[in-house]
Amino acid sequence: MEMVAYESRSSVNDTQLITRVVAGDAAAERELYETYVDRIYRLAFRLAGEDELARDFTQATFIRAFEKIGTFRGESSLSTWLHSIGVSVALNGLRKTKRLRNREAPMEEGLTIGASRTEAEPDLKERMARAIDALSDKYRTVFVMHDVEGYTHEEISGTLNIPIGTSKSHLFQARSKLRVALADFAPEWAS
Amino acid sequence: MTEDNFEEFLKKAAQSYNAPPARTPREDMWRAIHAQRAAGPRVVYGGGSTMRESSGRRFGSRIWMGAAAAAVLFLAAGVGIGRWSARSNSTRSVAVSPPKTGSTPTLTEEPPVTTAPQAGAIEPSNTSGRQSRISASPDGARGRDGRRPDVIGRGEPQVALGVPQPNSTPASAYQLAAVRHLSEAEALLTSFRTRSNADQQMDAQLGSWARELLSNTRLLLDSPVANDPQRRPLLEDLELVLVQIVQLSPGSTPQDRELIEKTLQHDHVMTRLRTAIPAGSQRGS
Repeated sequence: MEMVAYESRSSVNDTQLITRVVAGDAAAERELYETYVDRIYRLAFRLAGEDELARDFTQATFIRAFEKIGTFRGESSLSTWLHSIGVSVALNGLRKTKRLRNREAPMEEGLTIGASRTEAEPDLKERMARAIDALSDKYRTVFVMHDVEGYTHEEISGTLNIPIGTSKSHLFQARSKLRVALADFAPEWAS
Repeated sequence: MTEDNFEEFLKKAAQSYNAPPARTPREDMWRAIHAQRAAGPRVVYGGGSTMRESSGRRFGSRIWMGAAAAAVLFLAAGVGIGRWSARSNSTRSVAVSPPKTGSTPTLTEEPPVTTAPQAGAIEPSNTSGRQSRISASPDGARGRDGRRPDVIGRGEPQVALGVPQPNSTPASAYQLAAVRHLSEAEALLTSFRTRSNADQQMDAQLGSWARELLSNTRLLLDSPVANDPQRRPLLEDLELVLVQIVQLSPGSTPQDRELIEKTLQHDHVMTRLRTAIPAGSQRGS
């Protein structure tokens, strides 16, 4: 899987890369970017659901990483550190976006949207998306990282700075909620 | 039906969730990153370093609540008066008493006392409980109590605003209210970071305090204070953190608190708050 390529990067490589970036080596910055941008962008897109937001979050992640890389102490891998910034940027950005949209959206429009969704007969894809969107940030993030993007609990633990057991617990809770939300489709997984 | 079947079904079906494009727009984003960095550093107050608070710095709950109540009263009065003043006739004047150490600054007003009411003069609906002195007369007409508007209220020095003065405009009232509010927010966040994880009673008190500060933050976001390009993002980030603290339930997990802590760290909220509070101003306590 794609992830293996990143895991195979040795800490020596990362250390050298970081040293060069800190020293102001533009090529090293580009190398760091090229190495991790796909994964950061994919995760940002999964969380945001929009290309524009995903780009913004990815860009902000790397800008912040370049600013802060001098403070990176190597307590986690570079990948984990970058993902930690990325998830934080994305979740904070989404909260801001949601708040702004809630302010801007007229009350009546919100009611209309809700009603139309309820009345429609959604297919699995739509129901799945709505069910995942309805999860709390912590459950959704863990679910997306593990079940959708294939991160391990160890990686999630490092990225979100939570114990592995908590990551597993959040995943269990997320799946349980989705099972209830998708109960209408039970024959599809029972068969 | 087995658990494995469901997990397999879920993983497969969830692949369609917010599916990213096959190709990452690498070049576009790299150019954007390059341009943003070339345009200069983002506004990160105080150099953007994350500061840890001394664990020994704690505040008593009663002091918190007292300070919070005082701050809320002050801020509500400040913002309310500022809005009212902005709408009222520009010829009116406002009396502002500057903050004194150890006391809550007062910012009060009262309808003009003149022989002939001016067009646009507004009669405040409620001035009870406030020390309020306004004169529409630039030469210092006496108020209802017979005293001049520039010598009022408990003998404290007051700034009479019959003539333009830099510290006596509605804008300065907003600034004063904003600084006071940010000081209170800093005190709250410091308390949040230094409290015990197991202290649920303290969480409840913090939540109550945060709720009050949240209301004031939103008032400030809708006020001219938010026109400041540095202060607005700070208030927005502060609003987010306060919402998170308000939502902390008594049964919240350490992970919930960690998320707030991470927000504080990544957005450099504490550092930016401290930078936004002028040196020597009264801290929320």
